[in-house]
Amino acid sequence: MAAVEIQELNLAYLMLAQRLLDQDREMGMFQLHITESMADLLLSLSSRQLSQLAGINQFLFQFRLNDSDQLKTLLEDERGQGLTRTHAALVLSSSTAQG
Amino acid sequence: MSEKSLVYEMQQVQLAIELIELGARLQVLETETDLSRGRLVRLYKEIRGLSPPKGMLPFSTDWFMTWRPNINASLFYNFYRQLTAIQGCKRLDGFVKAYRLYREQVSLEEDGEPVLDMTRAWTLVRFFESRLLELAECRSCQGSFVVHAYTPSKGFVCGICRPPSRAGKTRKNQQRQEKYACLASKGTN
Repeated sequence: MAAVEIQELNLAYLMLAQRLLDQDREMGMFQLHITESMADLLLSLSSRQLSQLAGINQFLFQFRLNDSDQLKTLLEDERGQGLTRTHAALVLSSSTAQG
Repeated sequence: MSEKSLVYEMQQVQLAIELIELGARLQVLETETDLSRGRLVRLYKEIRGLSPPKGMLPFSTDWFMTWRPNINASLFYNFYRQLTAIQGCKRLDGFVKAYRLYREQVSLEEDGEPVLDMTRAWTLVRFFESRLLELAECRSCQGSFVVHAYTPSKGFVCGICRPPSRAGKTRKNQQRQEKYACLASKGTN
């Protein structure tokens, strides 16, 4: 059932987020694309709180490449250069990708 | 007082070790740490098992404008900028973290070889600090890319969206493509 899968993904996401932030705070904040206060809050959550948050039939996290024209541009690889991953990583870390 | 300086020295040694492990040249270590040249050479030998390479560091900004290096430099510098300007990392801390993230991302690619070594990455940051380079936004993908300072960036299109005609046609890539073509034809037979 999709709702169960969504719930599992939500929980996996929250747990990975905590681990990333615990390993390296700034790198984690960058990879998760969250602010400092959000990082503190996420780190402070108990496993009970995590599973409560995760237990909904909607995704907790958002698709960051939400401009379809931009996404189309990223997926174009007419010359077979195999740079799609690099291109996506670069665009997501560009200054304009904020917000 | 003496206790404090011992701790400080230990931190400096740790920093130097981390930089050497990531591939920093001696000039980088001399600029970024307070350790003496003699100690740095000894550290370098202990960690890498050989003497540090001699000679000057690359000093031209033009290398960063060539196709593949430009893409790699832009990716690294975007990481660095986010970590220092937005996540609040200090300069060197942000540099080390950005370089780790860059290497990690590159390792996910098909050929997985970092084009930008640690010394090049460091030179890149220095070029930005002395305002020889800046970022321009690609009109097509909205990504930020490394360009020479004071170049008109209006209507700029990046090297991935509009690759130059011979881009990426290295011997290695050609061999790889032939290999895939060969495998594909075997698959159909």
